Amino acid sequence: MSRSYDRALTVFSPDGHLFQVEYALEAVRRGTCAVGVRGKDVVVLGVEKKSVLQLQDPRTVRKVVMLDDHVCLAFAGLTADGRVLIDKARIECQSHRLTVEDPVSVEYITRHIAGIQQRYTQSGGVRPFGISTLIVGFDPQDPRPRLYQTEPGGIYSAWKANAIGRSSKTVREFLEKNHKDDMGRDETIKLTIKSLLEVVQTGAKNIEIAVMESYGKVTNLDLAQIEAIVAEIEREKERRSGSVRDWRQLRLHRQPCTWVRLPQTHRRRSVSLVLQSP
Amino acid sequence: MECSFALTGKGYVLIAADMTSARSIVKMKHDEDKVKPLGPHLLMTYSGEPGDTVQFAEYVERNLRLYQIRNHSVLRPHSAASWIRRTLADSLRSRSPYSVNLLVGGYDVSEHEPHLYWIDYLGTMATVPFAAHGYGSYFALSLLDRYHNPSASLEEGIETLKRCIDEVQKRLIIGLGKFKVRVVDKDGVREIEI
Amino acid sequence: MELNGGSVVAMVGKNCVAIASDLRLGNQALTVATNFEKVFPVTDRIYLGLPGLATDVATLRERFRYRVNMYTIKEEREIEPETFAHLVSSTLYEKRFGPYFIEPVVAGLTSPERGSKPFIAATDLIGCLNFAKDFVVCGTASSKLFGVAEGLWEPDLEPDELFETISQTLLNAVDRDAFSGWGAIVHVITPEKVVTRTLKGRMD
Repeated sequence: MSRSYDRALTVFSPDGHLFQVEYALEAVRRGTCAVGVRGKDVVVLGVEKKSVLQLQDPRTVRKVVMLDDHVCLAFAGLTADGRVLIDKARIECQSHRLTVEDPVSVEYITRHIAGIQQRYTQSGGVRPFGISTLIVGFDPQDPRPRLYQTEPGGIYSAWKANAIGRSSKTVREFLEKNHKDDMGRDETIKLTIKSLLEVVQTGAKNIEIAVMESYGKVTNLDLAQIEAIVAEIEREKERRSGSVRDWRQLRLHRQPCTWVRLPQTHRRRSVSLVLQSP
Repeated sequence: MECSFALTGKGYVLIAADMTSARSIVKMKHDEDKVKPLGPHLLMTYSGEPGDTVQFAEYVERNLRLYQIRNHSVLRPHSAASWIRRTLADSLRSRSPYSVNLLVGGYDVSEHEPHLYWIDYLGTMATVPFAAHGYGSYFALSLLDRYHNPSASLEEGIETLKRCIDEVQKRLIIGLGKFKVRVVDKDGVREIEI
Repeated sequence: MELNGGSVVAMVGKNCVAIASDLRLGNQALTVATNFEKVFPVTDRIYLGLPGLATDVATLRERFRYRVNMYTIKEEREIEPETFAHLVSSTLYEKRFGPYFIEPVVAGLTSPERGSKPFIAATDLIGCLNFAKDFVVCGTASSKLFGVAEGLWEPDLEPDELFETISQTLLNAVDRDAFSGWGAIVHVITPEKVVTRTLKGRMD
C-alpha cells in the first residue's frame, strides 16, 4: 500500500499546494531572464545569456529556438528540461502540418506545450518541467504578432509584454511602466533591450535578441547591433539624468506656495522657510 | 500509366513526372504535381498506389524538415535517400506497407555534385546517372543509354529529357498529357517549362 | 531472387580467399542499374556477399554493420570469420517465419594469432550454415556457377591464380544467366592486403 504514495511526486499537501510545481517555479526564478515584447507588427524575444567560458563554443548554447518557420520560443529554467519540451513541440509542429496541411497557430502550440507541462504534474513516476516559456510568432494569414507564456503547472496566457526567470518581477514592472501599444520595430527592440538591462549588468555581450517581423521572418541581432542599441540607451539615460535635475529645480520654482513668516520667538532661533502647498 | 524520369548533368539533376491522376480508365485530373521539393537542394517524384503516394511524400517532407529544425543542418542527398529507403523497407514488412516508387535527386552543396537515386516500393535503392519509373522506363532507359551525357549542359539535358517525354507520348497507347519538370542545382530548386 | 537478380561466389586459395559478385540490379527483366555491388567489407579481412532481394541487401548490410560495430566495441577485438558466420546465421533465423530474401556468403581470413587461415561459408535464407573447403555459390546464376567452379577450381591456388579462377567462373556463369551480369567486382583477401578489381563483362 505504501507504494501507492510515492507513485507520483506531485501530491497535494494538506493545504492544497503542489510542492513539486512550486519548486519547479523556483527553478524558473533561478534561470536566466527572458523577455518578450509585442509591437505593432513585430514581436521581439530577448534573453540574458550566461557568459560562456573561455574555451566554450557559444553557438552550442541556445536560449531562443525555432519551433517552426513562424514560431519561436525562449525559456527560463532548467536547460535540459527545455530541450525535451522543445523537441516535443517541434514534432507537434510538423505532425500538425502533416495531418491537417496547415501550420500550427501560435496559440495552438502554446496550448500543446502547456498541456504537456500539465501532464507532468499529474502522472506517476515523473516530475514537472522546470521551465517557463515565452512563445512568439505569427498565425498564418494574420499580420498580428502573438506572445504567450507557459508555466510548469501548465498555465498559459497571452501578453503584450512579459518577462520570465531571474528578476522577472523587476523587468515586468519596468515593462508595465514603459510599454506602449503600436510600437514600431526599432522601438520594440529598444524596449526589450532596455528592460533586460534592468537585470543584466554586463551589457550587450550577455544579451541575445530575436526579432520576428512577419510570418516566417526571423532575424537574430548580432553583437554589434545590440551594442549599438545599448550605447544609444546609455546616451539617452545620461541626457535624461541631466534633465532630471533641472526638472526638480523647475518643480521647486513652479510649486505654488506661500512664504510664511514665523512668530518672532522662533525667528530668533532659526531662519527657516516652510513650504506650504495650497 | 504513371511515369517519371530523371537525369543528372553537369552540376544539376533534372526531374520530370506526368501530371495526370487517373482512376481506372478515367482521367480525374491533369494538373497534379508529383514532384515535391524536400529541401533547399532536394527533389523527389512519387508514383504508385494513389493515397499512399501523397501520404508518404508528405511524411518524408515533414520528417526532413523536422531534422532541419532540430539539427540546424540539412541532410545531404545520400543521407536523405538512405533514410527514405529505410523507411520504405521497414514499411514493406509492416502491417500496412506503402506502395510508392520514388526518384530522389539532389545537389550536394558540400561536394558540389548532383546525385540521383532510384527507389522502389520494396526499399530498393540504386545510385544512378539516369532513372525512370512506370511504363515510361521501358522506352526511356534505352534512349537515355544512347543520349545521356553526365557532363551535358542544362540545355542539352532538357533536350534529352524532351526526347524521353516525346517518345512516351508517341509510343505509349495512352497520351500522358503535360509533364512537370523541375531542376535542382547549386542555386536550389526551380521549375522549368517545356 | 529473380526479382532483382545477382550472384555471388567465394573460393578458397592457398592462404587466401576470394569473393566476387556481379553488378546488375534489375526489376525483373529490366535492368535498372549496372553498378550495384553485393559484396561488402565487414572488417579488414572479412567480406560479406548478399545476393538476393535488393531491398534486403541494403537493410542487412546496415544491420550487420550495426551488429559488428557493437561486437567490436563490447569485445574490444575484431570479430572472427567463424563467429561472424554464426552471427549472420542467427540474424537470419530471427526472421524464420518472414525471412529476408538473401543467401549470404562469408569469406575471410582468421586473425593472425590463429594463423590467418582461409574461411568461407554460405547460408540459405533462414540461416542454415554451409561451411565449405573449396567454394560456395549463391544467387540466380548459382546452378551455372556450380558447374564452372567445379571444372576450374583446384586446391592451393596462389592469390593471382585464384583471382583468375574466380573471375572466369563468375563471368562465364553469368553470361548464361539473364538476371546476373553487367560486369563484376572481385576481392582477393590475403594476410597482407585485399585486392579489389572491377571487371567488364558482356554488357548485355
